[in-house]
Amino acid sequence: MRFLALLLLATAAFADDSWDRALRSGVLRWGADEEGGGPYVFRDDDERLTGFEVDLADAIGRYLGVKMEFVQGQWDRLPDMLRADKIDVVLNGYEWTPDRVLAMEATAPYYVYALQLLARKGALGSWDELRTGATRKVGCLTGSAAHELMEKLAEEGAPIEVVGYDGNTDAMKHVETGNLDATLQDTPIASFYAPHFPALVPVGDPVAPGYYVMYAREGDHRLVNRLNEALIVLFRNGELERIYAKYGMWTKEQGQLATILETGRFFGFQKAALSEAAARGEATAEEVRIGERKRGWAVVTGYGMQLVRAAGITVVLSLLSFPLAVAAGILIALGRLYGPRWLRPPLAFYVEFLRGTPLMLQLYFIFFFLPELGVNIPAFACAILGLAINYSAYESEIYRAGILAIPRGQMEAALSLGMPRRTALRRIVVPQAARIVVPPVVNDFIALFKDTSVCSVVTIIELTKRFSVLSQSTQATVELMLLTGALYLLMSYPLSIVSRRLEQRLEAA
Amino acid sequence: MISVEGLVKRFGRREILSGITLSVETGEVAAVIGPSGGGKSTFLRCLNGLETFDAGKVSVCGHALGPHAHDPRMLREVRRSVGFVFQQFNLFPHKTALGNCVEAPVQVLREPRDAAVARAREMLQRVGLAGREDAYPRNLSGGEQQRVAIARALLMRPKAILFDEPTSALDPVMAAEVLGVMTGLAREGQTMIVVTHSMHFARNVARNVHVFAGGRVVEAGPPARVFSDPQHETTRSFLREAGVQAT
Repeated sequence: MRFLALLLLATAAFADDSWDRALRSGVLRWGADEEGGGPYVFRDDDERLTGFEVDLADAIGRYLGVKMEFVQGQWDRLPDMLRADKIDVVLNGYEWTPDRVLAMEATAPYYVYALQLLARKGALGSWDELRTGATRKVGCLTGSAAHELMEKLAEEGAPIEVVGYDGNTDAMKHVETGNLDATLQDTPIASFYAPHFPALVPVGDPVAPGYYVMYAREGDHRLVNRLNEALIVLFRNGELERIYAKYGMWTKEQGQLATILETGRFFGFQKAALSEAAARGEATAEEVRIGERKRGWAVVTGYGMQLVRAAGITVVLSLLSFPLAVAAGILIALGRLYGPRWLRPPLAFYVEFLRGTPLMLQLYFIFFFLPELGVNIPAFACAILGLAINYSAYESEIYRAGILAIPRGQMEAALSLGMPRRTALRRIVVPQAARIVVPPVVNDFIALFKDTSVCSVVTIIELTKRFSVLSQSTQATVELMLLTGALYLLMSYPLSIVSRRLEQRLEAA
Repeated sequence: MISVEGLVKRFGRREILSGITLSVETGEVAAVIGPSGGGKSTFLRCLNGLETFDAGKVSVCGHALGPHAHDPRMLREVRRSVGFVFQQFNLFPHKTALGNCVEAPVQVLREPRDAAVARAREMLQRVGLAGREDAYPRNLSGGEQQRVAIARALLMRPKAILFDEPTSALDPVMAAEVLGVMTGLAREGQTMIVVTHSMHFARNVARNVHVFAGGRVVEAGPPARVFSDPQHETTRSFLREAGVQAT
């Protein structure tokens, strides 16, 4: 027992810091999301990766003497990638928050941002109007500080409906089309994209300033110290200012960086410096206190009900969209088999088109393109419509195959008895085909049930999205993942049982 | 009752029927015999519109069918007045024997279900299937299935019934049951056209026999003459192979 404890200690003491690995390999991997867009990390007209964080990473790499390798990741999943050792540093407009420093190591700030409220000209006069009057829809990047601020306002009773988006500009576009009343954006985004959205104007001054920091894996103190060192040098020699000026984001607030960097008054610096001192056996004068917060399974008991409620959304989405898909599928299948000749090619195209393109793109199309044509559908209706249309293609193929599986003699016998084709279908062919299609249809329903998770792209928060949001804010990814998986299984397994029963009953008939 | 003139049917470039002319009077039983591939089944299917044809005239119970597309309403009238019995029975597998019989009277003739059920029971009894009303097709023998199919056709009160090799899928014992029912119908004066390989039935029950070969009627006439004194070489070789002795 004691031996084991010693072994563990020894491994911990000799465990490589990511910095050691970076020195050996000459490569440091940094994670960001291109989808977040400018001015952070984006592709320029020549498809080259660009953005102030790309320039910053390169400058840091030059100073540290390592190659900075960009790794693409979904923005709200970057901490998971860090934990899973897919990247060494998160460098992508990540705000300093007390929650995040519990699970990751933060560097010194590299930018002082604030939050800017944007609305259509004349639609919103001031922040105060958000706190009173009719309910307003405000869009934010899911999991961002802006998102948290708005949720806090809503919790405090302001009549605000907060809508989470996966991309920054999506929310701005939706303010323009009128789907949203306002959006709260980080200042760099608000100023960078201002020319793209001439209809939007800032409401009031920027609020709630905060710091963008880099995050490293828990325990990577040496790496954090090297990164801090690089930041201080880049600030002193004017490199940081040059980079920010290039993207039009060198604001007077950046003066704060001087104070913070020069005096070393920031969380990440203290923690990293103390820990390295301790490792060298030097005396530590003080200890960083971290407040007691929910972690691990405590998160599950605390937020479990939120997941269960989100599962309800998943069920409602499935139950509303699937009957539509079935009805449309039957009509399409009959149209392709027995409809007028001119109708068959367009129906075949409909099926091939919808089967051949991803559901997510179709949802995007309905949600973002139709409003530009003046068709404004609520997000929930978009989700149901998108799922129903997409699945109608698969359903119609199942029914077509089912009907084709019925021998021709059945139709001929019915016609020979003087039945109209319609009656023959309804009374003879379809009831027989129904038995054949039950298993594949139930299978399809289970698939749709899980595909509802894609609806998060149209701002619906169903089970998977709720999991994603919670794991982002609590960092208890594994525990929440297990609960989420269990909920899905709990809901889909009874379906399998019902299907088997139904098959047995039809078999017996 | 049924008359056909110059009926031509092609599948692509292959000519299946090359000008068939024949007629069947009310109460007549006509047997169509001949070697396989002679166009017998296709001919029968043209009569109730299961196949379209390319040239010629078909008149069924006063309804005239022309080449190519048919008017669906008229087609339904034709099919209502002639029944069709298939080689493979084509019973509806999801319905009982009784259900198979009741379906069309209720759906097509709009009979009250009770009346249709009563008639169906009576008819099933007539074809020797009393007590089998509630059996599903898969639990019936081939002979029983074919007799249900005949009852199903009869319940539409057809002016004529077309039989497409009704006993070819059956063993001799079951075939005999089915032929027994058909012989009974013939005695009652039911108009029938029977495509058959049963020379016994053609010889003893039919009023006229039509020999099909290569898409043509090579010989026709009362069975006594055709069987005892075949005029055409094809008829002679066919009858020889079918094991019928000229007498």
